[in-house]
Amino acid sequence: MATVEEAAGAVGGKAAGSEAPTLFLRKATGLVRGWSVRDAIVYACLSTNIITLGIYEFSFNSFIPKGQLLTAVLISGVWVSFLVIAYTGLVVTIPRAGGDYVWQSRILAGPIGFVFAATGWWFILWLWAPIYGSVLNVELIQPVLYTLNARGAASYFGTHNGTFTICLITIALAGVLVSVGMNGYARIQKWCFAGGMVGFLVIVVLLLAYSHGSFVSSVNAEAHKIFGVSNAYGTTQASAAKIGYSTPGFGLNSFGASMLLVPMLMFYLLWPNWGTTLYGEVRGASDFKRVFTGMFSGLWLTVILSVVFLLLVDKTFGWSFYNNANATFWAGKGSIPIWPYPAMLAAWLVHNEAFQVILLLVMSLWFFGWVGSLFLSSTRVIFAAAFDRVLPDSAATVSEKRKVPMASLVLMLLPAAGLSAVYAYWIKFQTYTLDATLVIAVTYLVSAFAVVILPWRKPELWKASAASKFKIFGVPIVPVSGLVTMGLIIYNLYEWLSNSAYGVNNHGSLVFMALLYALAIVVYVAARLIRKRQGIDLGLINKEIPVE
Amino acid sequence: MKIFFATDIHGSEVCWKKFLNSAAFYKADMVILGGDVTGKIMVPVIVRPGSFEVTLSGETHVVETEEEIRNIEQKIRNRGYYPTRITPDELGELNEEDGSIDRRFTTEMVSTLDRWLDMADAKLRGGEIPCIVNGGNDDTFEIDGVIEASPCVTFAEGKVVNLDGFYLASMGYTNPTPWDTFREAPEVDLAKRIEEVVGQIPDMERAIFNFHAPPFDTGLDDAPALDASLRPMHGGAVMKAVGSTAVREAILTHQPMLSVHGHIHESRGIKKLGRTLAINPGSVYTDGVLQGAVIDLNEKKGKVTRHILVNG
Repeated sequence: MATVEEAAGAVGGKAAGSEAPTLFLRKATGLVRGWSVRDAIVYACLSTNIITLGIYEFSFNSFIPKGQLLTAVLISGVWVSFLVIAYTGLVVTIPRAGGDYVWQSRILAGPIGFVFAATGWWFILWLWAPIYGSVLNVELIQPVLYTLNARGAASYFGTHNGTFTICLITIALAGVLVSVGMNGYARIQKWCFAGGMVGFLVIVVLLLAYSHGSFVSSVNAEAHKIFGVSNAYGTTQASAAKIGYSTPGFGLNSFGASMLLVPMLMFYLLWPNWGTTLYGEVRGASDFKRVFTGMFSGLWLTVILSVVFLLLVDKTFGWSFYNNANATFWAGKGSIPIWPYPAMLAAWLVHNEAFQVILLLVMSLWFFGWVGSLFLSSTRVIFAAAFDRVLPDSAATVSEKRKVPMASLVLMLLPAAGLSAVYAYWIKFQTYTLDATLVIAVTYLVSAFAVVILPWRKPELWKASAASKFKIFGVPIVPVSGLVTMGLIIYNLYEWLSNSAYGVNNHGSLVFMALLYALAIVVYVAARLIRKRQGIDLGLINKEIPVE
Repeated sequence: MKIFFATDIHGSEVCWKKFLNSAAFYKADMVILGGDVTGKIMVPVIVRPGSFEVTLSGETHVVETEEEIRNIEQKIRNRGYYPTRITPDELGELNEEDGSIDRRFTTEMVSTLDRWLDMADAKLRGGEIPCIVNGGNDDTFEIDGVIEASPCVTFAEGKVVNLDGFYLASMGYTNPTPWDTFREAPEVDLAKRIEEVVGQIPDMERAIFNFHAPPFDTGLDDAPALDASLRPMHGGAVMKAVGSTAVREAILTHQPMLSVHGHIHESRGIKKLGRTLAINPGSVYTDGVLQGAVIDLNEKKGKVTRHILVNG
């Protein structure tokens, strides 16, 4: 697919100081207009999801007691911006569906591409399924059921069986959405984004309009009505003191301690590049700007929403109550028996059940707008690996009648269901949440390394790329941004693996992740041996034919 | 017998050179190029007394020597574009209305193809390694005669070529595209054209279809869905099957052992349609990478024994 607008950028457009044309296009297939930047922004914003991922992760703030979320969000936003530049370079240089798998295979080596794409875009998504299920549970199912006074059903979803049920529902939902294709879902996503933003705006208005005093009385009244808890506000503050937690004052300070929150915030801010793998084949400077603008704006829209959220939480909830409620909940000592979902707390400012339920439903659009993409990348990697003969051909089969990628879905759904069971019934496994981020971050690290060495590994490809034209003081910014991205991820890896606050560096978690990498290596080596016996050399796949 | 199949190189000189080297590289007995050989973009190199000016990747280069401009022209060719030397006056006179741009395109295409075929003669040892080239919907009809005249390349469009007992039927026409390209036909007409070619095959069990258009709704034909203004819908995330129903029907009816396709660059893949193994190796010609398929055929059993997609 070539784009008319990008062709002008790629080859020249109008000569400087002259009206003479600098290229001619003839009528040919694929000469399309550029894609919409607005769509790319929506994708990036939904993938760095402030509601389903961001505020969920904010609730673990107490694990880094002196860290400032506001500071950490801004540091993370700036640092991840370099990842956006590095990935923009990859996207415009090798604009292929398949993303990291293609980039790493092409720039580094086929086995590297398979191992890190399989772990980062396939195996670890098995763990994202129960995490998403858990988010659905705490942000929609339980708050709505409790608000509707359906306590029996609500408490069921607080049990192991309930958690497992909701994980299976999430997996089924993601599977069905992959099966029906992106056509209808892409439209749904946009509506979900618009609706979700309206919900966010309503919360902003509520938090602006009501005072802290009103909030305290609302929490006490609604928590009593819904959960039968008396003086929820005061009890929460007292519980926090009992467990020895004290919230630092809200502000833009504590740089050092806030840096320790950065590895946590990667859980939501590391994904602005999630949906940017398909671009035109004729790339130019305008193309680079377009790709960059989509991802960068999406990322910073999320950062801005985060900042607004944190400022308003401080103003109306009170920073100490917000953190104390989260800290006591995760310590099992919360006065409110379910996760103190900020949208639910905001909705309590209006003493009307219907309003509260509607606001929770509207805010759930943030979940439904993104859950359909959960297995999409995985099925693409499975297909690409099957076409490369690393996986059996049957892995890429699509049923004739319903167009369902049955085999790849089975490769996703069954392990995801299995891990959901482990997640639901073995509480310790729930602390491995950040493994889901770590394994993808490692994949990004390898891609960032690929972009750093791109000018040397593939000099002709690099010189022809629009990415090579962007320089500061003569230094190309894309490889430098790759280096900064590597710094970000190596820093995070160091913290994840050395600091027990993140729940990653315990024995079980490390074994779990090691097994994923071992599985990927075993699959590749087995494929190589089996194909060799069949007379197929997988080493040929990415070997370059000499030109001269 | 081992064949190497690639397609849609769209004027990329790097890819053409790789294609010519592919037989030796993959130890293939023959090489097949599935159409869309010609490029889409022409870049004027403005000739002034004592200097040349060309704009590439947004940068305007003014050089003085023949060697310098040749280096830049080679870069342009490697990307699949045609450099065309032109004076400022000639450039000012070029316009779409009188067809002068199309004529210039044709001149550059034909002269490039001539040069490519000379390279082929040397690389393919004067025809010792069979090389089959087909038209694609983006190829103008002027190229047909140029390739026909080559002593070492067989132009296969609309013909059945006997490959040591296998029968390769070729068809560069596609179903209609939004761009109204050169070799397009409505599905009904395309079906007739296919039947005319396929009717020449003496043994369908040993047939290979080399149809530029991929079969409809097979995963080999997924392209970004476009809106009325030819802008990809939903950020390019929504794909749509755009292959040919006539090609699909022909494959399902005749069940050749193999069918190879191109046309939809981003839809690299493999699909079984009944007995037939259908392959679209895709194309990333702008990267200077030649995607292709290495396919082993068993002469005795008349079937595909091995296949692999490669990024050469």
